[in-house]
Amino acid sequence: MSLKLSSSVPTDREVVLGILNNSEEVLNKLYAGYYPMVLQFILNNNGDEDDAKDVYQEAIIVLYNKIKTGNFELSSKLKTYLYSVSRRIWLKKLAHLSKRTNNIADFEDVLMVEEDVEKHEERDMQFTQMKTALERLGEPCKTIIQDFYIQNLSMQEICEKFGYTNTDNAKTQKYKCLQRLKKLFFQS
Amino acid sequence: MNEIELEAIIEDYLNGKLTANEQSAFEQLRNNDPIVDHKVVAHKVFLESLKQYADVMSLKQQLDAAHDRIDVAAISAKVKPHPSRIIRMFRNNKAAIAVAASFLVLASVVYFGQTRQDDNMQLLNNKVIATQGTLNDIVRVVKEPKPSTITPARFGGSGFAISSNGYILTSYHVIKGADSVYVQNNRGESYKAKAFYTDPVNDIAVLKINDSDFTALGALPYTLKRTGTSIGELVYTLGYPKDDVVLGDGYVSSKTGLNGDTVSYQVAIPVNPGNSGGPLLDNNGNIVGVIKGKENKIDGAAFAVKSKYIAEALNAIPQDSLRRRVAYGKRSSLQGLKREQQVRKMQEYVFMVKAY
Repeated sequence: MSLKLSSSVPTDREVVLGILNNSEEVLNKLYAGYYPMVLQFILNNNGDEDDAKDVYQEAIIVLYNKIKTGNFELSSKLKTYLYSVSRRIWLKKLAHLSKRTNNIADFEDVLMVEEDVEKHEERDMQFTQMKTALERLGEPCKTIIQDFYIQNLSMQEICEKFGYTNTDNAKTQKYKCLQRLKKLFFQS
Repeated sequence: MNEIELEAIIEDYLNGKLTANEQSAFEQLRNNDPIVDHKVVAHKVFLESLKQYADVMSLKQQLDAAHDRIDVAAISAKVKPHPSRIIRMFRNNKAAIAVAASFLVLASVVYFGQTRQDDNMQLLNNKVIATQGTLNDIVRVVKEPKPSTITPARFGGSGFAISSNGYILTSYHVIKGADSVYVQNNRGESYKAKAFYTDPVNDIAVLKINDSDFTALGALPYTLKRTGTSIGELVYTLGYPKDDVVLGDGYVSSKTGLNGDTVSYQVAIPVNPGNSGGPLLDNNGNIVGVIKGKENKIDGAAFAVKSKYIAEALNAIPQDSLRRRVAYGKRSSLQGLKREQQVRKMQEYVFMVKAY
């Protein structure tokens, strides 16, 4: 049975442009468009729906990073690329869980994406490292760092939000937090 | 300059917020002081990681939101492995099946073109067609009988039980085009049967006995062999080239059939018209194939459809309709018995198939 992808699947060019321009709409359409394909692959190869969600989201992150860093060339169909990356990630997971990996039931053509997946694994390791470092940092440091570096709040706003008497106190606090976080991050 | 200020400057420097003068001054400091340089590099890596972390976090949030909009259960029901093996096989191999089908179309076109182009070629082709004709043709043609009240069988073959409740497997070409089909056991009792499942491609048919006189058979003594057999394996067949059951003895001589046909084995075994549809068994009482035909031009070359395709036919039949079906890949109760004892036990389960 061929999977009918809904007609609203954006074209490959639309996806690339959409991601470069941070379009949420394109991302949603992309997500809905190729999810059945990956779900079918995982369900037919020893996985369940949660596995499919994890694997598919990782594959999209790989694609996203590849497009964002500008070295994505439309040499293949996006569909094939996403399928191949999902497949590679899932096979690695299966091997890791020492589950059966022979006799893979395939539904699409497969590209060689080993390099991209390995690059992604490195990034993912860094991501996990940062995540654990932030978790171990604890409050209020975690929020201060996130507010300043991720939400881009000014020192003044942070000062008011946390009730510091003046911005210098807030700065000192932020500095201490940052030092601890860096230590946690680089040591782990 | 204290640590806090230094950190702030490094950050501004990395974010490109310093004025041209400040920047050159800072770069000089950085060149002269390896500790400062190290701090800059470390902070750069750190800030990039933090930015990446933030990006991935927000992307994940977006993806989760996108995921929540999808009706996972509905899609899942559509794409999850189908309980039927055949459909699953088709889904999994649809690309391969499409390629195979297009080759078939292509091959027939090429074949046609050649015969039209060249008369010599046609002659050769005719020969090939002739041998293929004889291959499928060891159906017994019953001689024109003396006038009698009983209509004689138009042609006949053999078959064997695949379940106790009257399902008989035979070759498709034995019953092809028949108006009605009867099966007859070794005691001469005849039952009316009906084609229940046919697979013309692999030349397999399953008949069902529809006769109130039919009483269920005992447990089947033989089993289906799961794995392929090897060249040199001793095999035998029981069939009805005449009105009494006949034993044929031989060995597997090639893993492929006529013209490299992978569906069949080539077997060196004496078979005659009427043997078609008979079981091919190894010495342990496992069915390794179904006798299909023989090659007239080559001495001692008969062909048998591999047991794998019998198993496929079995799987295509609703499982609850087969009572005490033939076991697959298990130890047969014939194992260890002498040939004559095996044949004695087998006889009851091998039938003559008569098509009218």
